Amino acid sequence: MKAKNFKSYWEKFGTLAIFIVMWGVFAILAPGSFATSGNFVQIITQSATIMLLACGEFFAILLGGIDLSIGSVAAFTGMITAKLMVEGGMNPFLAVLLGAVLGGALCGFINGTLINLTGVHPFIITLGTQSVFRALTLIISNAQATFGMPKIFTQIFGGLWNGIPMAVVIALIVALICWFVTTKLTFGRNLYVMGGNRDAAWFSGINVKQHLLMVHTISGLCAGICGAVMAARLGAAEPNTATGAETEAIAAAIIGGTSFFGGKGKVPNVIVGALILGLISNGLNMCSVPTFYQNLATGLLLIAAVSLDQAVSRKK
Amino acid sequence: METLVEMKDIRKEFPGVVALDQVSFDVKAGEVHLLLGENGAGKSTLMKILSGIYTPTSGRIVMGGQEYAALTPKKSKELGISIIYQELSVVNELSIAENMFVGKLPTKKLFSVLPIVDRAAYEKKAEEAARRVGLKKPVSTLVGDLSISEKQMVEIAKALVENSKLLVMDEPTSSLTEEETRNLQNIIRELRAEGIGIVYISHKMKELREIGDRVTILKDGRTVATKEMTEIHSEQEIISMMVGRELQSTFFGKEDVDYKPENIIFKAENIKRKDGKTRDVSFELYRGEVLGVAGLVGAGRTELMNAIFAGESYESGRVWLDGREVKIGTPYTSIKNGIAMITENRRETGIFPNFGIKENLVLVNRLLKSGWGGFYGMIHEKQDEKVAEKEREEMQVKCASLSQLITELSGGNQQKVIVGKWLAANARVLIFDEPTKGIDIGTKTEMYKIMRSLAEQGVGVIMISSEMPELLGICDRIMVMNQGVKKGILDKAEVTEELILQTATM
Repeated sequence: MKAKNFKSYWEKFGTLAIFIVMWGVFAILAPGSFATSGNFVQIITQSATIMLLACGEFFAILLGGIDLSIGSVAAFTGMITAKLMVEGGMNPFLAVLLGAVLGGALCGFINGTLINLTGVHPFIITLGTQSVFRALTLIISNAQATFGMPKIFTQIFGGLWNGIPMAVVIALIVALICWFVTTKLTFGRNLYVMGGNRDAAWFSGINVKQHLLMVHTISGLCAGICGAVMAARLGAAEPNTATGAETEAIAAAIIGGTSFFGGKGKVPNVIVGALILGLISNGLNMCSVPTFYQNLATGLLLIAAVSLDQAVSRKK
Repeated sequence: METLVEMKDIRKEFPGVVALDQVSFDVKAGEVHLLLGENGAGKSTLMKILSGIYTPTSGRIVMGGQEYAALTPKKSKELGISIIYQELSVVNELSIAENMFVGKLPTKKLFSVLPIVDRAAYEKKAEEAARRVGLKKPVSTLVGDLSISEKQMVEIAKALVENSKLLVMDEPTSSLTEEETRNLQNIIRELRAEGIGIVYISHKMKELREIGDRVTILKDGRTVATKEMTEIHSEQEIISMMVGRELQSTFFGKEDVDYKPENIIFKAENIKRKDGKTRDVSFELYRGEVLGVAGLVGAGRTELMNAIFAGESYESGRVWLDGREVKIGTPYTSIKNGIAMITENRRETGIFPNFGIKENLVLVNRLLKSGWGGFYGMIHEKQDEKVAEKEREEMQVKCASLSQLITELSGGNQQKVIVGKWLAANARVLIFDEPTKGIDIGTKTEMYKIMRSLAEQGVGVIMISSEMPELLGICDRIMVMNQGVKKGILDKAEVTEELILQTATM
């Protein structure tokens, strides 16, 4: 009974515990610079884009699948949004709605449709579309960055609001919506059901293909929003932006306790998972550790977190 | 003739069940020994003991002059026992020759150091084995490109390569055409002439006489008789030995069903599948009755119900519920219309292992309350709890709490949760596919009671079952199928096990 209690606590607060422990470690190692409120905001800001991507990725992994295309989708939608404003002279809000929101959703819709039509594992389909969307970005941009976006755009999506970066505000709103969808709507509950046993879900009347399509659309949508935020913060749409960002998003979801086999995971934990990634790179920076050691630390942490999770869940 | 293997007084207990009791069985070199019995009689268990998969609770196995209390799969192989299961275990992605040598490919040394696979050597041996079983395709052909009968020959050839002395064939002809069957029988005769002992399990009465030397009949885990085939004078004799059982009185009194057209709850007409696994099957289900569906493996019973419930491979045919025509589509549309199916494979298509009892109970109920095809709706924990609590009580699920994981329950209780799930979804017709598979006798009885009481309440109950006693015990009528075709509907007044078997193999 005691072990079971520990297990359920771990499932709820394990990720948070890792975050707090790591924060404590860095606070001891670099007390002057790390443990300040300014730096805390800095960590959240650094993690904001990963949070956005991780929210979408979470849905894909929840079904036992994956979405490898989100980095490319973010670059693609960021580029389209910038082009619409800079070259098309479009109203920034309309450009974001068309380019980032609808554009991202459409990219995800294409992923989902291809998975449903071919029956091929999402890993392979999205590996393919990862290249396709990246190539399209390079083609439409001629491999050049797009500058000169309207100030209102960079301010609203990349500026500050009462001292808090807008990127963080947007990421938290998206996370809140995702949390609501996964916990309060039947759609969300159906996803856990499908992730747990897809065949049984089908026999219980859940339209598994529709749900999968919706999941990838959501994943693309989050990536699209992330693309707009990235372009606004940078003040430019870079064709090579967010390369490899999907691996960080996957890492955030997994460190956040999402089961790679599907059917298990929580949005708040995924957000904490993204924060942990931000915390590592920030903390190691503060301790003057070179960048390549940061990758080492992230990799080891990922393995450690998942091993720990396995060890706990095997306990009965 | 020399005795190859002798199994003496074998007893095998599983938790709560005695699968085999005092069974003795022997095979001589150069004979075909038929092993007969109904589903669940213990044939497979006995053969699994021979292949070392199961350890007998008591008894001895004598082979090669030595006595064993139990065999291991490895030991069984070493002694020369090969089993060809009904579901063939060939690897489609490998060639014929590679399949024969799986796990034991001969090697040669490259530059006298590096061991590499000696293709020439194994293909030569494979060719010889292929010739012995009459397999004409080149041995480099991928097994995936072969017909079922050819795959079977690959399995036999594999046994020859292993120098098997004893070959067990479990329903080898269940998916073969008549010509392929004759061909297989010729091969079996040749192997017999070479001194190989063969155990032959089959349900097809006709071929038994042509091939068998001796016959052993099992029933409820006991040996009924072992006889020379020359002592057997008719198929009838075999059937009555297989069946001859007093019906247990633990079963239930049946309702008197009024077979009037206005009492038809559910009707299916000319259901046909694209893959041909059911062809033009029609049936009616009356208010208050339990309709049984009987048939041997491959009869197309599950396939029929899957086509109706899930639209699987559906080509044509119509269904009516309460006099209203219902479109065959997806499980969702069926459920919405009140048709539900309790699938045979509880673990794979029934339960949600990552959820508690509550979620498993309310899932479909909630889905139906939601809009947009189950897509859009809010979760109401309180309501869900009420629904779950009601069904838990109605089904008498034994559990510590509703939040307990479903995987922690016994098979029978899991089954009750699944039935509860459909009742919470207001199912009008419930299709049970092998509902008592893998559950203990006590819960079985409870399941029967549940089915009968559902029928009395006016819910349509269809039960696919391979267990004769339960079909006879609780069904009002039994539809018999074979090879995807309905062979007849038998009424409770006339039905006997023999009649079912006869109807099926007609």
